[in-house]
Amino acid sequence: MTRSRSRFARWLRANSERYLLEDAQAEMARRYLGRPGPAGERGLVPALWRHLFVPVYHRLPPRLRQSAMEAMPGSHRRGWRTPPSRSHTPGI
Amino acid sequence: MPTRIVVVGGGAAGIGAAGAARQADPTATVTVFTEYEDVAYSPCGIPYVHGKEIPTFEQLFLAGKEAYVEAGIDIRYETRVTAVDTGRRQVTVEGLGAVPYDRLVLATGFDYADPGVPGGDLGGLYYVKNIRRAMEWDKVLDSVRSAVVVEASPLGLEMTTALAHRGITTHLVDPHPWPLAELADPDIMQPVEDSWGEMGVTTHFNTRIEGFSGDGTVRAVRTTGGEIECDLVAVCTHKQPNTRLAAEAGIETGSTGALVVDERMATSVAGVFAAGDCCELPHGVSRVPIACLTGSHAYSQGKVAGTNAAGGERRYQAVYVPWGMVAGKWMIGGTSFGETLAKALGIPFVMGVADGISRARYYPGVKKVRVKVLAEPAGHKLIGAQMVGGEGIKERADFLGVAVRTGVTLEDLATMENVYSPPIGALNEPISVAAQNALASLRR
Repeated sequence: MTRSRSRFARWLRANSERYLLEDAQAEMARRYLGRPGPAGERGLVPALWRHLFVPVYHRLPPRLRQSAMEAMPGSHRRGWRTPPSRSHTPGI
Repeated sequence: MPTRIVVVGGGAAGIGAAGAARQADPTATVTVFTEYEDVAYSPCGIPYVHGKEIPTFEQLFLAGKEAYVEAGIDIRYETRVTAVDTGRRQVTVEGLGAVPYDRLVLATGFDYADPGVPGGDLGGLYYVKNIRRAMEWDKVLDSVRSAVVVEASPLGLEMTTALAHRGITTHLVDPHPWPLAELADPDIMQPVEDSWGEMGVTTHFNTRIEGFSGDGTVRAVRTTGGEIECDLVAVCTHKQPNTRLAAEAGIETGSTGALVVDERMATSVAGVFAAGDCCELPHGVSRVPIACLTGSHAYSQGKVAGTNAAGGERRYQAVYVPWGMVAGKWMIGGTSFGETLAKALGIPFVMGVADGISRARYYPGVKKVRVKVLAEPAGHKLIGAQMVGGEGIKERADFLGVAVRTGVTLEDLATMENVYSPPIGALNEPISVAAQNALASLRR
């Protein structure tokens, strides 16, 4: 159960990171360099991540996004102290 | 009976752990297993020997093998650990069989991501990692006329610069729109790109690798932008945590694929610690775990893991990842979030940028410095920074790393005192001016 949860978390993170970054890079490349976005893969699955996941992620309330990230398995759930100066996370 | 501590891996984390364990408990027996011929050298220095900035590989070694014998650390070179049995508290070692332990430190490092294209088994594909192989490849480089660097990762940037510096015709291929696009912002990297042009490097951004061609040895790289002829390929794909042994032993991994640890660098299994690129740490701002950081992170984590494995008490902390490097003719660096990453994760921020100078404007050797700071819109606490310049980048990155960690605000930076001395610092500190510009943008 733990292993399959870890595998799922890894898959979800790898894909979400990839397509969120790709989207941000496309905007930054246009604005700063006048270049197109990254050479992303084509197909139905990448299209779903780009056109469904990315816009939905950005519309989610920050606290919900934060809760989802904190629910993932990982070192952050093993009792690390939060630095005293930063009792909350800025908007994730 | 002395505590038996076994360390798997002889990189910065493993050696840091072994030394710290002996310090914490001088009676403990500490055994390090490494599959390589050496420990205690700087792998990060390899590109600079290839680039001829450093004359010899010998200069990268920090200590001789006898130093570890004298320190009471038993290092088994070229010895592979093939399995970990956490129930019986033993590791299986090739040629030795079962070796028992009381505490185990896993410092198994990283592997480069497989490019995942045909031709990956050809000769002439160079993965920069081990110093002995680097010595062999360095001889090969003497006859290389044209090389392709695959991916503009931190190592990719260093290798591109090194190969160009050596006079080799160098191509850099990367699927992103600018170099180091997963970490750095495009305006920070633009001067680096321009300087590579001056050094004769041909860059191929927004370009994917489709395969390697050749007859036994690579002769060309096939890309979405066409074929590039070459004598050598430096594969600089991103690092992936090497957790095979641990995962087979049932030790928990997280969303990065690296080992889950607590502040004491203890894994999910009692008596087993981990350090370095094989484990993940929470980021101090986002609290999201990240893995495969720098050599200094690995060494510090090793010291924490080793101390705790020997019965001491030491804690690590969430990371803010100050970073810096030389790429092309520039130094680049930063800490925590840049504009691209903050935008990707949907983190709201205010930003200020300043273009300043490193010394008094009239002093010989004065260099440009661009600083970009990002802060929370409410409260104005710093969440990250990025920089490019001719000098003073590492020191600013270290300072800004502490600034983010301690909750320094834009107001603090805007009114900071700074050193002014013509040979070493300008009247206006670019960090302060960037913070002033961020605050000004809020008033508009």
